[in-house]
Amino acid sequence: MILVNKTMDINEDDEQLGETSEEDDSELSDGELQDAFAKGLLKPGLNFTTQEPKKIVNNVEGLKQCLADFRKNTLPWVERLDMVNLPADDIVAKSEGRLDNKASGDLNPDDDFQREMFFYRQAQAAVLEAMPRLLKLKIATKRPEDYFAEMAKSDQQMQKIRKKLIMKQTMMEKSEKAKKLREQRKYGKKVQVEVIQKRQKEKKAMMSAVKKYQKGMTDKLDFLEGDQKTAKGGAPAKGGAGKTAGGQTPDKKATNKKGPNAKRKYKDQRFGFGGKKSGTKWNTKDSHNDVSGFRAKVAHGKGGKGGKGGKAGPGGKGGRGPAKGGAKRPGKNARKKMKGRS
Amino acid sequence: MSALKRKRGGKGPGGKAKKVKLVENGNEPRNTETEQNKEISVPAPVSMGKWRNKERVLVFSSRGINYRTRHLMQDLRTMMPHTKADTKMDRKDKLFVINEVCEIKNCNKCIFFEAKKKQDLYMWVANVPHGPSAKFLVQNVHTLAELKMTGNCLKGSRPLLSFDPQFDKEPHYALLKELFIQTFSTPQYHPRSQPFVDHVFTFTITDNRIWFRNYQIIEEDASMVEIGPRFVLNLIKIFQGSFGGPTLFENPHFESPNTRRRVIRMATASRLRERQMVKELQKLKRTENKEVVTRDVTDDVFATPAEERPVHIELEAPAAKVVKKNKHKAFKRQRMQKR
Repeated sequence: MILVNKTMDINEDDEQLGETSEEDDSELSDGELQDAFAKGLLKPGLNFTTQEPKKIVNNVEGLKQCLADFRKNTLPWVERLDMVNLPADDIVAKSEGRLDNKASGDLNPDDDFQREMFFYRQAQAAVLEAMPRLLKLKIATKRPEDYFAEMAKSDQQMQKIRKKLIMKQTMMEKSEKAKKLREQRKYGKKVQVEVIQKRQKEKKAMMSAVKKYQKGMTDKLDFLEGDQKTAKGGAPAKGGAGKTAGGQTPDKKATNKKGPNAKRKYKDQRFGFGGKKSGTKWNTKDSHNDVSGFRAKVAHGKGGKGGKGGKAGPGGKGGRGPAKGGAKRPGKNARKKMKGRS
Repeated sequence: MSALKRKRGGKGPGGKAKKVKLVENGNEPRNTETEQNKEISVPAPVSMGKWRNKERVLVFSSRGINYRTRHLMQDLRTMMPHTKADTKMDRKDKLFVINEVCEIKNCNKCIFFEAKKKQDLYMWVANVPHGPSAKFLVQNVHTLAELKMTGNCLKGSRPLLSFDPQFDKEPHYALLKELFIQTFSTPQYHPRSQPFVDHVFTFTITDNRIWFRNYQIIEEDASMVEIGPRFVLNLIKIFQGSFGGPTLFENPHFESPNTRRRVIRMATASRLRERQMVKELQKLKRTENKEVVTRDVTDDVFATPAEERPVHIELEAPAAKVVKKNKHKAFKRQRMQKR
């Protein structure tokens, strides 16, 4: 069994000796494999080729040597202007109470904003450190107002940049305005809808209350309280007077208290009630048929002086009888003449 | 670019509409505004001191670069007045030819951009005659012309260089730092430079890459705006010689763009292959001899036999159902009254 296994192993593809260098894809010949096995380099089990781990060159000594040769030690700092610094303190993070990670090693390169802020703060720290040194060496960092020289970016380019910034700003403002308008309109619409709904509800309630009253389910006319002004002309079929004093609808203001206005009351007192003509002076069937006030004498003009006093009712006028001073009243012209004389 | 002859006495060449005026005490240009004539006369930088640190950087590229790289090169030349440009190098030439080109141009540093497959951009920074050189993969290039970079600085003003403390920790980073300092810092009193320091270059190490940013110093209290350009350098190798020589350092975290693309392609390929395999397996299963199941084992789960009833045959029709139609209800009013 074991023998079979071994031979089977040897005939497997891709066997390799551990310490030799990287193999080609061609298989080792049987003879070589047998030699290796004899030497004890091959172990039982399935062997397969692996690539030798790639050697990464890191010649530290060489690097240091090179650096030493290369470095220009005669150069003063002012020629190089180099700084090594950690980023400046992050004010925002500190105010929020977060611990800011100072080293660039903890920086997450995928978080764009954080990364760029890190670089920015590093530059800031460099500038803050370098300012006093530069001042000492009398190198200016600010150019004077009237120092005109060529800039890295042309004026045209700067104009483009400015335009773009302004455009961005205006777009933002526009979108803000549009949003606000939309909000306002929404709100206005909401309010409008609410008001309409309220009115409809009130109307519905009123109608149902009236219907109920008409059908006789309630005998209180409380619902009319809200409509004091609209007089209920055709009074409802059953029930009492048109106007009530009952529960007040809370919506009405205090003007409706104690019935009609004081002014109205006074006027009614003086001049009688206003409103629709009562029709008491109109003829009815009975009054038409009532002939009791008829005086024949007066009607036909036969009564003399005495007849005058007894007259009453719609007996009819006197004809053109005696002129002046007669039983009959003189005519208009006659009276005028009389007036003028006396 | 014409090679300007510079007199050794320290007198710079006539600038671009600047009156060159020899100032005795070499003060700042503020003091040199003349009261009589309206023109502002600022002395050329060289007149204020002698230009000793003769650093010249050659910035050029190989063929096949795209517009972004070209603009980046132009921006670097704008930012650094001590640079010179050259024509594009043919890909056929070996890299050590660059050393000769630099010698001809009398430059002692070189920044060389190499574009491969019109996709990947590599940058070499080298100290030309003997010194070390480094190769980087450049990513995330943004140029000066982008509208989000709102800052501006004087053309040729000297930069302040700011490095991450990590640059001092590792020897290879220390070497890179020295290389960057010597390449990127403008020498003092360079004839094309401006005497002010109004921008900062920052080099930061994050994610095993070097991030480069350029900020304009607006106020003395260090409020800043980005000028650009900006890019990210991924170190590949550091060589002892210039564009050649023994490798001093190899970046273990570097993954070449080719391998990256290969990995992605292989991933999609393997996904496809897996799906195909699954499909084939399903086909096989379908064509397999299936076992004929005659009796369903779960057939009698719901069998609840009812009890036996004698069979009853109905001979007469069933009784008609009583139909209740009119429910005589009292009228509503009367109903309400009753209540």
